[in-house]
Amino acid sequence: MKIINIKTHLYEFENNRVVGDANSPAGRKLQSNLLIEVETDEGITGYSSSGAAAKPLVESMFNRALKGKDPANVKGITKQMIDFAFKGGHGGMINEAISALDIALWDLKAKSNNEPLWKTLGGLTPKARAYASGLDIPMNDKNLKEWYEKMASWGFDGGKLKVGLNQDDDIRRIGIMRDALKVNSENPLIMIDSNEYWSPKQAIRFISEIEETFDLTWAEEPARRWDFIGLKKVSDGIKTAVCAGENLKTLGDFLPYFHNKSADVIQVSSGMGGVTTAMQLADAAYGFELPVTLGGSFGHVHAHMAPAIPNFMIMEITQEEPDPCISWDVTFENGYAIPGNKAGIGVEINYDVLEKMKVEKTSPSTQASPFGRRPGAGLYQVSPSKNEIENSERLNK
Amino acid sequence: MKITDFKITYWEGKSERSIGDANGPYGSNRLPGSFLEIFTDEGITGYSLIGNGFVGKLFPLLEGKDPRSVVGLWKEMNDLVFKGGNEGERCDAISAIDLALWDLKAKIADQPLWKLLGSSTNSVKAYASGIDLNLTDDEIYKFYSRMADMGIDAGKLKVGLDLDSDEKRLGIMKDALSKANDRPLLCIDSNEYWSPKQAIRFISKLEEKFDITWAEEPARRWDYNGLKKVSDNVKAAVATGENINDLAEFMPLIDNGAVDIVEVGMGTTGLTGAMKVANMAYAYELPVAMMNCPGNTMAHLATNLPNHMMMEVVDNGRELFFNTDHHIADGKIILGNKPGFGIDVDFEKLNKLKVEKHSTPKHESYPFPRREGAGLIINPLEKD
Repeated sequence: MKIINIKTHLYEFENNRVVGDANSPAGRKLQSNLLIEVETDEGITGYSSSGAAAKPLVESMFNRALKGKDPANVKGITKQMIDFAFKGGHGGMINEAISALDIALWDLKAKSNNEPLWKTLGGLTPKARAYASGLDIPMNDKNLKEWYEKMASWGFDGGKLKVGLNQDDDIRRIGIMRDALKVNSENPLIMIDSNEYWSPKQAIRFISEIEETFDLTWAEEPARRWDFIGLKKVSDGIKTAVCAGENLKTLGDFLPYFHNKSADVIQVSSGMGGVTTAMQLADAAYGFELPVTLGGSFGHVHAHMAPAIPNFMIMEITQEEPDPCISWDVTFENGYAIPGNKAGIGVEINYDVLEKMKVEKTSPSTQASPFGRRPGAGLYQVSPSKNEIENSERLNK
Repeated sequence: MKITDFKITYWEGKSERSIGDANGPYGSNRLPGSFLEIFTDEGITGYSLIGNGFVGKLFPLLEGKDPRSVVGLWKEMNDLVFKGGNEGERCDAISAIDLALWDLKAKIADQPLWKLLGSSTNSVKAYASGIDLNLTDDEIYKFYSRMADMGIDAGKLKVGLDLDSDEKRLGIMKDALSKANDRPLLCIDSNEYWSPKQAIRFISKLEEKFDITWAEEPARRWDYNGLKKVSDNVKAAVATGENINDLAEFMPLIDNGAVDIVEVGMGTTGLTGAMKVANMAYAYELPVAMMNCPGNTMAHLATNLPNHMMMEVVDNGRELFFNTDHHIADGKIILGNKPGFGIDVDFEKLNKLKVEKHSTPKHESYPFPRREGAGLIINPLEKD
């Protein structure tokens, strides 16, 4: 089988609810995506996606590393892509391109074996424990309650709340989330995520105070992603596990975490050098007796990876409503994500819908980090401003 | 596809050439072995060139399962042996099963295993390893010379019992390999016979004359302080890992800087375990080197590891009843396109070698027991 062509489709759509975190309490609904199709001479197509801005790199890397190759050789091809990027490093935007192409290659490899990806990766039991993650700082209390109740009705008994800007609000809202999830478990798993908004000492103060009321499973990104000393300090100073890694891009980025015991739960994603690097990273964590958690992913590909990761703990589900342009072969039952038996990742494209949503250029507000890092980060908590509250209230309707 | 049954055949024979190291300097060609077959309902059979009685205890986990789920099954087997630990015969059995399952997984996809794993190359750099402490100077020259003729430009000499002799023999190996490269890669292996301070003394002395790529197992396998001490005090890289089996045992070595080159092989809890250790090493920017194995089958995994350096080739004629689909040329192990590990078995030959159970000779035992004087004062060879 030979790879012959790539197609990309840029589109925009409105999410069915508002999302945001400590860096964007004003929230947003509009999303964009670059859908990628990698075509072969045997008529089988591999699917993937990336951010809009990575498009030129996706295309140039495709021409340099994928064209004419057999997708069965995916790990060798991905090593070559990483080696190509040697001098400038394979982080940043080039990582997005490498990751997206690697995912399409694994989709093709599994399809050419005529098996679902979870089986290609060697998984035995196609299910992955999942938790609900509202990306919910801009959600008002009423919508927050309703959303976690809906997720609870799907069997979820774990939730992750976005926190960081106002300690009293955070404590009240954790209670709302917990109460909603209680229908499934007396002791739902409670996670919090401050998205690098705190300094290590702020994190220790705020998390300790929350721990007086709640038993927390993990606190996510309680300090800057690269601050391996600060993250370790937080872990040493609280009862809760420190979960980190989401914003790292390469295997090498994690070396200081492992060596310095900075994180207690390692965040792994197919956005870190694709499925190939994510599996290598999970193995490295396994060697250090560290559990792995998976975040949101294209077509829920993470639900395929989880069964092949012995130290897999739980994966994040942020979007209960699918991207309108694609469908995926993952269902949710009793709090588990269950990958199905369609070949590859199991993603299918709805071209009619896609056609209607296509754009030439994406709106600035759909970029990965539209609001940037928020004022006060690492210094002191700045509660949402009047404008931010007005905006989020509008989007809550 | 479902796993239906398994069969282990114990066999015993003699390798074409004797091998020896610091713990077995007089050498042995004794070759006790086992052969594992895992059967499926679709008539495809997975092979493994190792196996033991514990396989039977693990088999109920496998029966009725799809062999393509090998990674999940590996975890179930590891979890089953939790209390006693993934050690000794339990680890050997998990390794044996895991290899047979990977063989099946690739055969089901009708692909050579290197390709099933996602490699984009079918070849891997080789180094010659005589396991040669028992060989005469002449035999050493001939062995490495023959290897150099296949383009191999790296060699590993067994050392440890006589520094003068080691120095002389290292020179002989170098001369032979110089046919392939002006500056061949020279490795030495003392098989845990030395204490860390002995290792520092002896390796430093050898380094006065030779540029040494790695010194293998210069201290005990678990002595991460000792191994780090050696690495801090010699120029050569410390290679170790050969005698440890479980992923968890690598944590103190890797995290304490006790190892510069991580050795993995069939015994590192199969292909699945070896890949995990290699990936852990990769995160630490450490190269891995694949250990030798019958038929060089682990080259399939080696092609798949981005941090793989070179793989050991012993070539002592131990493939008594099978062939594997590969050849050596241009200094590389080059794998073919037969499905799975590419193992072709001659069952007639196997039947002739078959035994009910392995013999246990009193005086000649392989693998070699630890030799007198190890870690203390070198016990010299008897002159004869």
